[in-house]
Amino acid sequence: MALLEIKNVSKHFGGLKAVDQVDLSIEKGQIFGLIGPNGAGKSTLFNCVAGLYAPTYGQVFFKGNEITGMKPWDVCNMRIARTFQLVKPFKMKTVLYNTMVGAYIRSTNPAEVRDMALDVLERLHLADKKDLLAKSLTIADRKRLELARAMATNPEMLLLDECMAGLRPNEVDEILDIVRGIRDGGVTIFVIEHIMRAIMALSDRIAVIHFGEKIVEGTPKEVSTDERVIKAYLGDGYVATGN
Amino acid sequence: MGSIYGLAALGLTLIFGVIKVINFAHGSCLMVGMYAAYWVVMLTGVNPYLALVVVVPLLFFFGYFLQDIVIKPVLEAQSDVREPTEVIIVTSGVWYILDNITLMIFGAEYRVVQTSITGKAFELGEIIVSTPKLYGFIATIIVSVALVWFLKYTKMGKSIRAASLDREAASLMGINQYRVYNIAFGIGTAIMGVVGCVLIPFYYVFPTVGVIFDVKCFIIVVLGGLGSIPGALIGGVIIGLIESVGAQFMTSTWTELIVYIVFLAVLFVKPAGLFGEERDW
Amino acid sequence: MTKETLDKILKIVLIVGVFTLPIWMNSPTYLQILILLFFYAYLTTSWNLVGGWAGVLPLGHSAYVGIGAYTSTVLFMHYGLSPWVGMIAGGALAAIVGTIIGIPTLKLRGAYFALATMAFGEGVRVFVENTDKLGPFVLNGPRGICVPLNESFWNFQFMSKIPYYYIILIMLCLALFVTWYMSRTRIGYYLNAGGEEPEAAEALGVNVAKYKVIAMAISCFMTGLAGTFYAQLMLYFYPKAILGLDFSFEIAFIALIGGRGTLAGPVLGALILRPVTDFSRIYFSSILPGLHLVIYGLVLILVMIYQPRGIQAPLNRFYNWILDKVTGNIENKGVQS
Repeated sequence: MALLEIKNVSKHFGGLKAVDQVDLSIEKGQIFGLIGPNGAGKSTLFNCVAGLYAPTYGQVFFKGNEITGMKPWDVCNMRIARTFQLVKPFKMKTVLYNTMVGAYIRSTNPAEVRDMALDVLERLHLADKKDLLAKSLTIADRKRLELARAMATNPEMLLLDECMAGLRPNEVDEILDIVRGIRDGGVTIFVIEHIMRAIMALSDRIAVIHFGEKIVEGTPKEVSTDERVIKAYLGDGYVATGN
Repeated sequence: MGSIYGLAALGLTLIFGVIKVINFAHGSCLMVGMYAAYWVVMLTGVNPYLALVVVVPLLFFFGYFLQDIVIKPVLEAQSDVREPTEVIIVTSGVWYILDNITLMIFGAEYRVVQTSITGKAFELGEIIVSTPKLYGFIATIIVSVALVWFLKYTKMGKSIRAASLDREAASLMGINQYRVYNIAFGIGTAIMGVVGCVLIPFYYVFPTVGVIFDVKCFIIVVLGGLGSIPGALIGGVIIGLIESVGAQFMTSTWTELIVYIVFLAVLFVKPAGLFGEERDW
Repeated sequence: MTKETLDKILKIVLIVGVFTLPIWMNSPTYLQILILLFFYAYLTTSWNLVGGWAGVLPLGHSAYVGIGAYTSTVLFMHYGLSPWVGMIAGGALAAIVGTIIGIPTLKLRGAYFALATMAFGEGVRVFVENTDKLGPFVLNGPRGICVPLNESFWNFQFMSKIPYYYIILIMLCLALFVTWYMSRTRIGYYLNAGGEEPEAAEALGVNVAKYKVIAMAISCFMTGLAGTFYAQLMLYFYPKAILGLDFSFEIAFIALIGGRGTLAGPVLGALILRPVTDFSRIYFSSILPGLHLVIYGLVLILVMIYQPRGIQAPLNRFYNWILDKVTGNIENKGVQS
């Protein structure tokens, strides 16, 4: 049984079909990538899973349980965590505080929560900055903090929304390692990303969304050579005829 | 009377709709307008509507500088927040300062002005209409029309509307956002000046007169929808109606309560008001 | 001597001093001033739970003071219920009302929330002013209620000011303790997070709205208790004094100037601003009525522009600087000799 099942999910905003009858299945332990041109509906799909939106049609199942339309905090309680594309740290609080907020979902004992948070920070190499105020961090560190916070909730599944946007190449590599490490620790990852080399290198399977519809799904190699994908991203003129 | 409320609310909706700040000192500005009008009339004995000539520009500058000196620094410090709550706090401070300084300078007595139209009324069919209120109604219409025209057709008006949609974007397009705000604020307060002149023929003047109008203005603005001119006017009329109709059946303080309840109901059910746009708060 | 040691010593001296004050100061006037000061500090600390932490601006808290005062007094007058019990009842009622009001309003954006609480606060005042009798209970409308004189501990009435002093002091300490405790446990973290970045908090499992309502309930309960205290202290209260916008704003102003969201802020605010009120009222009320409000307004504006986190921020820095200087000097002198 797949860990996350998105069945025929559509999200309409008035007349706009942001997400149109998307079917997806993510197995446990996978890194599943979601790509597509800007405005294709990737984030909207994410938000339908994460609880920010309720799908207009369709259902979402996690571990066999229906989570369609659940509120974000309940989704988190089901052990699905998410990061935001535009990071939202609690700016006036320390890195440790930020992380502890995430960890409090697992325990109400402040000392325990503190240890859990420190543990996560260690694994993400942020421990040395634990007493810095979030607002004084660089963008790369803020993205790591976003990850740390989400990981502090000890999720089974992590939704990563363009966590590498705006990073330098070496920073991207760092995050790639961290994400792989998270997957190796047993967390299934569903990731949206624009940086092609990152998502191709990272994902086990990729789905391509265009105008709200899933047009292709497969391994990175399959997807990158698929005509329809090339057409979607670059237009008709680039499709090579006859390989 | 409702239309006068609408006029006052108009000023507020402009400020709130544009700068996205809640000016709690609005009522106090009205009070200032009333005192200004009062003194002009007392000193020169002219018809209160002529006093407009003095009062309106006076209040315009008053509002302009108020925004510039007091509110702008707060906005600058919080440029990433759409409507910082600090502004509410600051304008409350202004409100208290204005009200109490006036109290200290002029004393708490209620003052009344006798003008050529005070107490006059005329018959419209079977209804007796109070003359000053009628003039107020006319003034409201004139000002509203002028305001709509201004916003739609003049360059400054368009700048104001642009700035209301997004502070930063407008500034990128060459609109000096703070100058625009200052002017919008000035206009809003100037409108209060008009209201002040309109009111003195039949309303008492005292330091806390602003408070009553202040609360009502906010209720009207929410009722009618932020930033919506027809909304402000219609909201004003509704409130005016509730008061006059209510006065037939119960004391004025009970109608006050009804107004509050209506307000709360609107807030819960349709926060955007009758004519407001859905905003993404 | 280290800075931490000096800090601890000063704090202990302060606490001992405050608790033993009535022994060497027996002027009832000054005691009354102090009592009211602690009263306001208590109110602002309670207010802070919503206004500081939940990140919204409640401007109608006086309603809960009123609910507390009226409930306990009415119960006392009609059923002879001891005001101590009435106090809890009043607090509970205030908490219930606060929750009912909180659930729809806390969903609103900051500005709207402020307006809604104002409308509610004023609504309560207008209602009470117009109601002489509520069922079997006498509310007396705008004339207010006189608490029947019947001195005894059980009736929460004392001839001397001293018991009142200790009662409010203990209440203040409890309020501070509650605030401190919350800040170190989950509810505090969740409230802070929800106040700063609600979307992020929700994604981390925080039902922001629920916690805001919880904070509101606790705050209103505590505020209600203060209402009863006021009733028993002054033995007379009426809507204009205990309900209404001015009172709500005063509480909010003091908390804001002192520093919302901090532990010491509201208390510091009260410490500094209340004497201003008292002295300006004593010396200036005939010449310049309302002076203290002008001062409040001015200070508020200045603080908001230059020190949005309240004056507790610079005061804290100053205190630390002094500590550093003094301990530095002591250490130097120690080294030299």
